[in-house]
Amino acid sequence: MTDDKFRTIGKHHPRYDGMDKITGVARYAVDVEIPGMLHAKVLRSPHAHARVLNIDTTKANALPGVCHVATRSDFEGMQPVYGWLIKDQPVLAIDKVRYVGDMIAAVAAEDEATAYRALDLIEVEYEPLQAVPSIEASLADDAPALFEEPQIGFVNRYGTGASAVKEPRKNVCYQFNYKTNDSDVFDGCDHVFEDCFNFSRMQHFFLEPYVAVAQWEGDQVQVWSATQSPFLNRKELSRIFQHPEEKININVFYVGGGFGAKTGCKTEPLAVLLARKTGRPVRLAFTTQEQLLTNTQHAATLILRTGVMNDGTLIARQSEILLNSGAYSDASPLVAEKVGYRIPGSYRWHHIDTKVQCVLTTQVPAGAFRGFGGTQAAWASESQIDMIARRLKMDPYDLRVKNLKNLGEAFVPGESTIDSDLKLGLDLVCEKLNYRNRSRVRGHGMGLSVVLKDGGGVNKAAHAVVKATTNGGIIVNSATIELGQGAHTALTSLVAEVLNCKWEKVTFAPVTTNSTPWEQGTFASSSTTIMGRAVMEAAEQVKQKVLAFAAQDLDCAPEDLSLVDWSIRKGNESFPLGPMIMKHFGGPGFEFTGHGYYKPQVPGDHSAPLETPVDFWEIGWGGAEVEVDEQTGQVRVLKLIVSSDFGRMIHEAACRGQDEGGAMMGLGQALFETIHYDGDVPINSTPLTYRVPLSTDLPDEFISISQEQGQGRGPFGSKGGGEGGILPIASAIANAVHDAVGVRITDLPMTPEKVLAALDRQKSTKK
Amino acid sequence: MRTVSISFTLNGRPVTREVSSNQILVDLIRRQERLLGTKVSCDQSVCGACTVLVNGEPRSACAVFSFEIDNCDVLTIEGLGDGDNLSEVQNAFLDNSAFQCGYCTSGMIMLITALLKQEPDPNEATIRSWLGANICRCTGYQMIIEAVQSAARAQS
Repeated sequence: MTDDKFRTIGKHHPRYDGMDKITGVARYAVDVEIPGMLHAKVLRSPHAHARVLNIDTTKANALPGVCHVATRSDFEGMQPVYGWLIKDQPVLAIDKVRYVGDMIAAVAAEDEATAYRALDLIEVEYEPLQAVPSIEASLADDAPALFEEPQIGFVNRYGTGASAVKEPRKNVCYQFNYKTNDSDVFDGCDHVFEDCFNFSRMQHFFLEPYVAVAQWEGDQVQVWSATQSPFLNRKELSRIFQHPEEKININVFYVGGGFGAKTGCKTEPLAVLLARKTGRPVRLAFTTQEQLLTNTQHAATLILRTGVMNDGTLIARQSEILLNSGAYSDASPLVAEKVGYRIPGSYRWHHIDTKVQCVLTTQVPAGAFRGFGGTQAAWASESQIDMIARRLKMDPYDLRVKNLKNLGEAFVPGESTIDSDLKLGLDLVCEKLNYRNRSRVRGHGMGLSVVLKDGGGVNKAAHAVVKATTNGGIIVNSATIELGQGAHTALTSLVAEVLNCKWEKVTFAPVTTNSTPWEQGTFASSSTTIMGRAVMEAAEQVKQKVLAFAAQDLDCAPEDLSLVDWSIRKGNESFPLGPMIMKHFGGPGFEFTGHGYYKPQVPGDHSAPLETPVDFWEIGWGGAEVEVDEQTGQVRVLKLIVSSDFGRMIHEAACRGQDEGGAMMGLGQALFETIHYDGDVPINSTPLTYRVPLSTDLPDEFISISQEQGQGRGPFGSKGGGEGGILPIASAIANAVHDAVGVRITDLPMTPEKVLAALDRQKSTKK
Repeated sequence: MRTVSISFTLNGRPVTREVSSNQILVDLIRRQERLLGTKVSCDQSVCGACTVLVNGEPRSACAVFSFEIDNCDVLTIEGLGDGDNLSEVQNAFLDNSAFQCGYCTSGMIMLITALLKQEPDPNEATIRSWLGANICRCTGYQMIIEAVQSAARAQS
């Protein structure tokens, strides 16, 4: 929406990071090299579950060029465990290893080749234990416990209807419940449908590896890291090393993709430890193979019991969700909250009852991944809605529209209201898909999906500082990390709009935690709405200070003045600010500084189930047209449509890129992308064998529709984006497959084998 | 380790270097020459992030020995254009926002530079096929394809 009242918002201009990235001058943590820097490599467990009896580093230590071999014995007097709510993941294995790939020792050496050679010389004596490489195996009565003792951690505070229990049973690290008070309504339903769905796990497969460089300068620790969450990581490092936060300075440059995975500590604790032990700067970079063994999305089993009336009115939904957390809890408790809270989807209900358990298994730990529980909820919910429509002989579109929440309706009691017209978006997708005129030829089908998730995070707060130099250069000091999502571009536009200057005048200060104002982290699609309001407030303060200064100089009221390209406009006269500032402050000039802060309002009664009301609702609409080859089981996506509502687009191309990137991830999830385990062992955790979508996987037609419904509570009516695009894709494709050949695939990914098996079952039932 | 002397042109400049016989081209570029625009990701010739042009052909610099480029012409992103003098492909990337995190961008731009040299007016199927050599996890490829088309138009 190009709007003439704006100068920068919504106008076409290159991205802030564009010139750096197209010329190769953009710097990343991976590029950091410090004189005297050592290189570190990690020894990983070949066992899925084993007791670590002995680690002998004698031979490795003796290898020329090796400076230190770190093991569990290096952490005496520290708290060498980390995690979001529950701190159960050791920096290096302590008593046991719990998955293939678990870190057991690390070598710092003069070069990488020496470090690799030293890894081969470390002798570890294991006592193998029974592995539990699946949810089912882990919950079996006779399964071994991954942890014998309760782990350090706490339960979040919740509002009405929500509750949680830490470690409710063996191998379950967290349980989240959400319930409204009307369970009797199931009795009045015409039908109650129970269906089970399996969600497979992807790896983030960002391209810049996990990497950190650490250096001790006296008691000051310097860290350069590819992270989305410098302040969270600083807090973890402070606790692990019992070292004050102000003495740990984390520096972040551009980050080469994260998709959630670069939230929380990964390489930092080991790099800091090895730097302390050696007195030298240490660089620890993981290979792609190690990246695949570090963190993933949550696989899940979701059982939905949904009560409906004959006319398609949805009444109640009870869900039981098991998340495969892998070996450590990581972000699982928070993902559990979100998958549970998002299971109602886009519809109106009389009753919701959700139970989510985070099941520890001997697999790669699962953590934050684009969609954060929303993708799992969407897969089950939007598949089942479609199945119910077909069982009731209704068009899936009609059943959806009958039950969609209205614009302005509360999501659940005590929660903020829906800020998009859900039907309007669905109709846009249907129109592009030509859904109403779809062919009824077998083998050819269309599917829809409409998904919503709460955006903006929980208790998210942000500070920002904006400075204006003597000649009107604008420096933004914000901890929002540019991961590729275009946050710097959006924030640039907001600041330029407030200060009425060209976007080219805006520069970002490097992120360095000792001087960058605090914020929680770059996640939850929150940069435009939360940090956006903080930088706008900071810019507004600068503007007010400048106007007050000029008013004094020009002997008038600030209200009589306006700011245009670092000149003061007073009626028809224009006064350049540079000379005015020099005249007043003398030769050194001056800077005007503004401080901004934003946190969504917390209601006094804390009635919102997740404690703070949702800042905005991120919506993903999807439509797919497929052709199913009944001889091979191959699903070919002829047309894929993705749509989000950005409220108002601050930068159109950045918004579009988020939807399309998310949708292609969703396509991979739908059709082929997953981590495969053969028993206890991951079998495709290498770059060659782990398959991500390529340009050759693009659907014949790929369309994104970036909506601007103008209802957002963020800057200029905006809402956050970035996660909406992935949410509806897998279910839209499954629904299209059902439409095409009448079989329902409930397990991701929808490989030809599964489709063929379903077709065979269909044939044998018909006989 | 044996060292060998190699002579080649790097971004148009003739250079002679002593390199160890097991050195990989990307280490020569990044560590020895400190040209950091070429990125390493998978390090197994799968992702294409390290794509450079050797005698005009796209090659994964993580899978080429330094000695192989003796007498060759090597072009990296730094040799393509700078802020004052962008190539058409770079211009098209900027105008079309055909990048996000930027980590695949140097390799993509080098790949597309080679594509447009071989096929100045590629159809979409050809573009999709060429881009299949490199991974971009952020964009979903469509905006990169549009940048290729726009660069092709600008060059014609």
